[in-house]
Amino acid sequence: MIIPHPLLGPRDSQEFTIMGDAKLLARPDGLADGAEAAFFDYLYLRDNPAGLHRELWYHEQGDRSWLVVTRDTLTHEILGAELASDVARRLAEGAA
Amino acid sequence: MTDLIPTTAFGTTTARTATHGALSMAEDVTTALASVALRRGADVPVPLGLPLPGPGGWAGADGAMAVCMGPDQWLILGADGAGGDFAADIAAAAPDCSVTEQTDGWVILDIRSKDDADGAPMAELLTRLVNLDPATLAPGRATRSQTGHLGIIALRLAPDRLLLLGLRSAAESLWQHLDGTLRRLAVPR
Repeated sequence: MIIPHPLLGPRDSQEFTIMGDAKLLARPDGLADGAEAAFFDYLYLRDNPAGLHRELWYHEQGDRSWLVVTRDTLTHEILGAELASDVARRLAEGAA
Repeated sequence: MTDLIPTTAFGTTTARTATHGALSMAEDVTTALASVALRRGADVPVPLGLPLPGPGGWAGADGAMAVCMGPDQWLILGADGAGGDFAADIAAAAPDCSVTEQTDGWVILDIRSKDDADGAPMAELLTRLVNLDPATLAPGRATRSQTGHLGIIALRLAPDRLLLLGLRSAAESLWQHLDGTLRRLAVPR
């Protein structure tokens, strides 16, 4: 697979390590009401979609950036990649 | 005071070299390295007058070079600085950044091609070594990738010159991989 790195261009997926569902970026607030249940869901419950999936990939043998890669789990087609820091910033702004 | 003898990444006192056909490879034991990371919200410094390059690039000249390692992080190479405290010099020049000494963490291999206006032997070497679009390592470009399952930083200094940085603890493995590749490329076909 080739990952279209937003800064460095097309890169071999061998340079990357997959780090799980992109929903891990949305860590619940540990001090809010119902934090225990929220953290149970955050830690243990994952969707397992047959189709589009957003995942965290770490460019370990490259520039060490974290990406959010959109991948089709049925065909392994890569539909896009963006910096996880940008996604996290958008998440934070949306939550504020 | 104890008289210590500095050794190279290969445990010897002189730099290791090899030549196979048009390509030659030499260990660089004099260049100093320091990593510079920008703190959040800080201004990009200009250490030693070096403009810090964007992703996939290197800047500078033979005396001092800066390579982009990732977002807001660079590696600075200082020629003939390995005997001194290079990181301290860089830290003084980039006061708001996190600077770490890297000199003895890496082995630096300087690969040159002798008959090379067009860079053909070097281009052939690159197609064997790294799984990248060759344009990613055109002259003036630099990137971090892997070769032979070993992490490397590659700088294409000129059409006929490539600088490879590999982990010092894996220097012998990297040498074996590169030396074998150079040897095979030199066989007439």
